[in-house]
Amino acid sequence: MVEKGDEVILKVENLYKTFGGVAALTGVSFEVKRGEIFSIIGPNGAGKTVTLNCINGLYKPDRGKIYLNGKDITRLSPHRRAALGLARTFQKIELFSGMTVLDNIRLGMHIHLKSGIFSGSVYVGKTAREEIEARRFIEEEIIDLLEIEHIRNKITGMLPYGLQKRVELARALALKPEVILLDEPMAGLNLEEVEDMVRFILDVNEEKRWQVTCILVEHDMGVVMDISDRVMVLNFGEKIAEGPPSEIQNHPEVIKAYLGEVEELYVTRR
Amino acid sequence: MSWLPCGVYHENYKQDHRWWQTKFVWGKMIFLFLFVYVLFPRFAGLYWIGVANIIGYTVLSALGVQLLIGYCGQITLGHAAFIAVGAYVCALSILMFHLPYVVSMIIAAFIAGLWSVLFGLPSAKVKGFYLIMTTMAAQFITVDFILTQYVSRIGGRGVAFSLPPGTIKIGPWVIDNDVEIYYLMVILVTLCTLALANLLRSRVGRAWIAIRDNDIAAEALGVNIVKYKLLAFFVAGVFGGVAGAFWVCNLAALSPEHFMWSWSLWLVGVILIGGVGSIHGVFFGSMFMVLVLEALKFAIAPLAPTFPQLQMKFLFLKEAAFGLAICLFLLYEPNGMAYRWWQIKNYFNLWPFSY
Repeated sequence: MVEKGDEVILKVENLYKTFGGVAALTGVSFEVKRGEIFSIIGPNGAGKTVTLNCINGLYKPDRGKIYLNGKDITRLSPHRRAALGLARTFQKIELFSGMTVLDNIRLGMHIHLKSGIFSGSVYVGKTAREEIEARRFIEEEIIDLLEIEHIRNKITGMLPYGLQKRVELARALALKPEVILLDEPMAGLNLEEVEDMVRFILDVNEEKRWQVTCILVEHDMGVVMDISDRVMVLNFGEKIAEGPPSEIQNHPEVIKAYLGEVEELYVTRR
Repeated sequence: MSWLPCGVYHENYKQDHRWWQTKFVWGKMIFLFLFVYVLFPRFAGLYWIGVANIIGYTVLSALGVQLLIGYCGQITLGHAAFIAVGAYVCALSILMFHLPYVVSMIIAAFIAGLWSVLFGLPSAKVKGFYLIMTTMAAQFITVDFILTQYVSRIGGRGVAFSLPPGTIKIGPWVIDNDVEIYYLMVILVTLCTLALANLLRSRVGRAWIAIRDNDIAAEALGVNIVKYKLLAFFVAGVFGGVAGAFWVCNLAALSPEHFMWSWSLWLVGVILIGGVGSIHGVFFGSMFMVLVLEALKFAIAPLAPTFPQLQMKFLFLKEAAFGLAICLFLLYEPNGMAYRWWQIKNYFNLWPFSY
């Protein structure tokens, strides 16, 4: 087990986002510490994905600040944030469906490669070496870790859903991120695939080689409660609770948000 | 290295990154090289060399269109404008500044690239149909307005520039007949194809394909979308410029009529028929379009005495055949000839045990 430090890696301050008249986020603030798995849960439409999109830069928040490693990234465009070490996966799979698995992962290494149009069109010397280095990293660190050797030359659009989810994680890892935003990585997977995915997330989070901070949006409560260090609960764009899983499970507001007024403890394992 | 891919085990990544990995493919490529550089120009008659030159010009022109539409997803209907810019810049710098042909060609390619970036700027904001409109604007502003109204009147020449014979030469090599043009054409096609193929397997090309497939995910993974779209326009413009500068040597006189909008459309048709998103497709499409037209000429020759209109209105017949070909391909082979080629290759990969 790795020490989870107290160093704040991602800080979100007082985030507001409205779509027309709908308030998606109203004043959400939280801090994520380096090396932890931080989960965001909440009923449908609570603003979980909006939060991730704001952190990632796909949405511009109306108000509020986002800091990564102490640097204000609120105004940066998504690709600049990616260059700072912020990777993500998507709720609906957003792979490059016409490319092979290997090329998808190679694209994840985009910010670490240097070749331009002239060196790329000649493809000798530095560019070729760089591609080989990238390939070595991908094969030995990512494909091996995520167990996708058998599909590396397949076109991603033709892969089954579970494997596509895995390739998405692989692509995000190729960025060598410090923080990875996982938007429902377990949605639509069967039990076995969920177990695999959890294992990968724990590996990525804990292995010396990676030690990536994970921000996880997930509906599978069993998984969330098992692997998270801390959990934040959103409801209608408002943060209603934050704390370790054991605390969240017994939090009256959370139970109310999920179940209405029923008194029973329902937020528990499947 | 063995003859067939079966049983080949790579020991390092370099081996796996090679273009040609089996003796069979090497043999095929060497044969192709020999055929194109030695056998064809020696044994084909002048007529077929002329046809080959048109095919080569179409390939050079369509490479840029393939890059933009097939690999970067930016639909363009104004590529002839950049070819025209290449042709005019090349011709003008030879005529007015007396620069060598190679230097003029490089300048022409570069300026065509920049011109293309200028009209690619809207791609930062608009996609799809709206981008088609802006690229069509490129066509009409460049060719129908600037070139027709202003450039072709430089020096009171009227509407056409003609390069005196013997001005187009590379060092001591004077390019003044179809065979010389053919050699220049195959060299340029080889270089441009290699450049594009290499780009597509390096960082820039992957970013283009990523933008085509899913621009949101590409941006989230650190691809600067605007920059790479403009780079795509630049490189496509450079290919267009090279095509134009090449075509100068085959034209007795340069006039805006060579670069009309129909040529832009024609190029899109070429890649639709050949296969969108495939370099093979550019070649198949170009060959198909040019050869079908030649075949059409032969086919109507015996009919000409009975239906003289056929030959007189051949231009319209040509357009009709072009439209029909695109319709048929979209209906029966929407992925183009390159896909069919890929299927055939796959079939023979497994042949005779296709299970």
